[in-house]
Amino acid sequence: MAGAASETIHDVVCGFCGLGCDDLSVEVEGRAIRAAGTVCPEAARLLRRLDVADRAASIAGSPAGFEEAAAAAHRLLAEARSPLIGGLGTDMAGAGALVDLATRFGGVLDHYASEGLFRNYAAAQRTGWLSVTLAEVRNRCDLLLVVGEDPGATWGRLFERLFPATPLFADAGRKVVFLGGGPGDKAKAQLSGAAVVHHASDDPVAALEALASLVAGRTPPGESFGGISGETLASLAGELRAARYAVVTWNAADLGDGDLVAERATGLVDALNVTTRAGVFPLGGRDNLIGVNQLMLWRLGYPLRTAVRGQASTHDGALFSTASALADADLLVWVSAFRPEPPPDFAGKVIALAHPETVFEKEPDVLIPVGTPGVDHAGTVFRMDSIVSLPLGALRVATLPGVAEAVRRIAEG
Amino acid sequence: MRLRLKGGRVLDPANGENGVATGAVRDIEIEDGRIVAPTDHRADAEYDLGGDVVMAGGIDLHSHIAGGKMNLARLLMQEDRRAFPEMPGNFCGCGGGRAVPTAHATGCRYAELGYTTVFEPAMVGANARGAHLEMADIPNLDTGAYLVLGNDDYFLRLLAAGAGQEQVNAYVGWMLEATQAFAIKIVNPGGINAFKFNARKMDLDEANPHYAVSPRKVLTTLIRAVTELGIPHPIHLHGCNLGVPGNDETTLATILATEGRRLHLTHLQFHSYGTEGDKRFSSSAARIAEMVNANPNISVDVGQVMFGQTVTASADYMSQYRNRGLASPKKSIGMDIELDAACGVVPFEYKDKSFVNALQWAIGLELFLLVEDPWRIFLTTDHPNGGPFTTYPHLIRLLMDRDFRNAQLATLNKAAQAHTLLGQITREYSLEEIAILTRAAPARILGLTDKGHLGPGAVADIAVHREETDREAMFSTTRLVFKNGRLIVKDGVIVELAQGTTHVVRPDFDRSVGKDIDRWFDEAMGLKAKHFRVADGELRHGAGPTILKCEGVAP
Repeated sequence: MAGAASETIHDVVCGFCGLGCDDLSVEVEGRAIRAAGTVCPEAARLLRRLDVADRAASIAGSPAGFEEAAAAAHRLLAEARSPLIGGLGTDMAGAGALVDLATRFGGVLDHYASEGLFRNYAAAQRTGWLSVTLAEVRNRCDLLLVVGEDPGATWGRLFERLFPATPLFADAGRKVVFLGGGPGDKAKAQLSGAAVVHHASDDPVAALEALASLVAGRTPPGESFGGISGETLASLAGELRAARYAVVTWNAADLGDGDLVAERATGLVDALNVTTRAGVFPLGGRDNLIGVNQLMLWRLGYPLRTAVRGQASTHDGALFSTASALADADLLVWVSAFRPEPPPDFAGKVIALAHPETVFEKEPDVLIPVGTPGVDHAGTVFRMDSIVSLPLGALRVATLPGVAEAVRRIAEG
Repeated sequence: MRLRLKGGRVLDPANGENGVATGAVRDIEIEDGRIVAPTDHRADAEYDLGGDVVMAGGIDLHSHIAGGKMNLARLLMQEDRRAFPEMPGNFCGCGGGRAVPTAHATGCRYAELGYTTVFEPAMVGANARGAHLEMADIPNLDTGAYLVLGNDDYFLRLLAAGAGQEQVNAYVGWMLEATQAFAIKIVNPGGINAFKFNARKMDLDEANPHYAVSPRKVLTTLIRAVTELGIPHPIHLHGCNLGVPGNDETTLATILATEGRRLHLTHLQFHSYGTEGDKRFSSSAARIAEMVNANPNISVDVGQVMFGQTVTASADYMSQYRNRGLASPKKSIGMDIELDAACGVVPFEYKDKSFVNALQWAIGLELFLLVEDPWRIFLTTDHPNGGPFTTYPHLIRLLMDRDFRNAQLATLNKAAQAHTLLGQITREYSLEEIAILTRAAPARILGLTDKGHLGPGAVADIAVHREETDREAMFSTTRLVFKNGRLIVKDGVIVELAQGTTHVVRPDFDRSVGKDIDRWFDEAMGLKAKHFRVADGELRHGAGPTILKCEGVAP
């Protein structure tokens, strides 16, 4: 759209990584979009749009009209014995439509980024946990324990959001302890107002376990735990006990033993709360993972990784993960509206409701390109803490349907 | 569309009609979803009621049906969901659970009991958008939500700085509008906040560790705010020291603190405990009921405890943390939320052989039977905290049938039997009183003039019951339920799903407060106030709210 006036839109909400930044500035010129000002690399990449015509729907690689493609998808669903509705990178309206689709045609529901969530649930569903939301960490946390690798690589503005210049209650002596990998330069810059300490560890599970013991007043046998000396951990335990509001954070998706990290972090926080206040702040939630999971819980009573068949649903965190369910599926409905995330390898039929820039190894049987929430159309997404949700606005006139619209059309046939 | 319900015994206490007592039968006519004066026009459909009892649709003013805490409870209590799978039927297939049913099951089970309107009594502002999304998926019920205030740092900061009442009122008005709420709820005034500063208990006149503000100040300031904003429902208060033996003193002091202004005390059962006896746990129901009787500005709901497995979910993280050692099964979730409030989810199994649980059961019933004015007491179990709402028919029989009640009492923990007056109380609720508790009175205290009655102009939410001497059986199966004039239940079975509406209030307030709130959100929350606000179009899948204007109420 050459010659269109350029407009800068402020306070744009970003729905991609789950951190829920809502202060982005974006330049829009016709159909072209690019981020401006303070923005993380992930948002810059995913907001970037060129002034090109959107990809058309297709059936087995041949261009088709939207209606035609939706009708073909309907036929595939009607014939399917065991569909997997995967990806689920969509806003709340899209998620609602997909649950409707599952209740009508049957299917397993899972989000492509749910692995970390279920590692955390291994602890949360068994023993529960004490957690906090972003604004609480931001204002109360005087000692933050970061377990694993520096999460700033995945959530570019995490430490900026958690460590504002003037927190309400934790203004003096804020401290961040990295237990595992060290902080990168960006994290250090964002944490310039806090004391930063790094304890390298190749086994944070062992270190957390020892810490919990020490906090509870026990001395665990041994001299070193996860590569950190008992003396260092005893000192850290003392700091945690003395902290007014300690928070433990980790990215379970990044940790092979994320389930154990979640459990040990929960144990540590439990031990701390006997005498002081503390909470866990698990990281995750890209592409509205948390929102889709929330909707599943109130609609079906189960989280993701749930199968709907014959008007009844069953949950199994292992059996109905995307990887396992694909082994039994004869149809994959792949939904990824936020980013060009390609579907996993699959020998059966594929219906893709996909970001128009998705590169497919094999053309899907039906492809319906969909608009991105927060770019092409309005929508709602949940932040990673599962409490706060945010309204996404449209930045340009949509030429592609949203997921909800596409799914409704497929259901109609 | 015109419907005629022919020959029912109309039980409509709001309009002083009691067909059950008089034996009189008459027709009710519905046009386009509302009740109209009877005409001789031809109806599109007629239902012969044959003398069955006709009441307005039930209204539950305190039942936790939506919001983040319920999803945390669902996540924690997957066993509840697995134990109660989907009911058979051709509708949606997405219902299940008993203590924390899904949105679909909530709407269907309530409708089967003849309820058509239910209020979520603890919506946290930070979670308002999510709670509204969830409520939109509850079929067959109109809903609304009370906003939890009184523990949020913005408000406490205002009080600590000595802000005037006008400024507080503006903030309350802004928050009600921004979160699309219907009333103000206070949970453990100031206590949730104090727990974030590591206080473990909070009495009415104790100072917050950071703000030095007392719960009394929180309460009286917010009572004034809702009064001056003209919000029909008074402050809905979950008081200090929930579940603590000896909290009767706090409850009595709280009633006095109102100085005659309107206040609704919720789940009063959990706040009516004395410390007498060997176990230092006793019933103070008689003392509390006497005080309620003497103070017409006070209304209450009971939060009756019913035996069996449930899960407790509350914004009162301070109390829930204290009680988490009693969790059954042994697990719990707690959360500090967004400078706003918190929540705690603790599974609970109330056991009839437990002294404490049995006495809790008796205390609730004592309150029901000793509070004299049925217009100021409401039938609740604080679902799911005292027990699931699906136990209401059993509770109704306990209230209406003294022999049944005493027979139940005789099976309970012996020591608890010795510590309750219940066996000596002869009162039995009448059907009319049940209709007051569950229909007419909640509509009145919520300010819903077109609900809870069957007069012309009322929304055609109607429940028809066959009269049976076994009141539990009678209220377990509703013969017919109409929602906005549409038949949704027939012979106890859901026959159609209707989309409900969400009630909100819209008081006038000084909008200049917006600038300060914007700054607070930018600096403290790290979130834009405009993104916190929930737009009308976000409610009920785009249908928007039903707005109740606040035109003033008696203080």
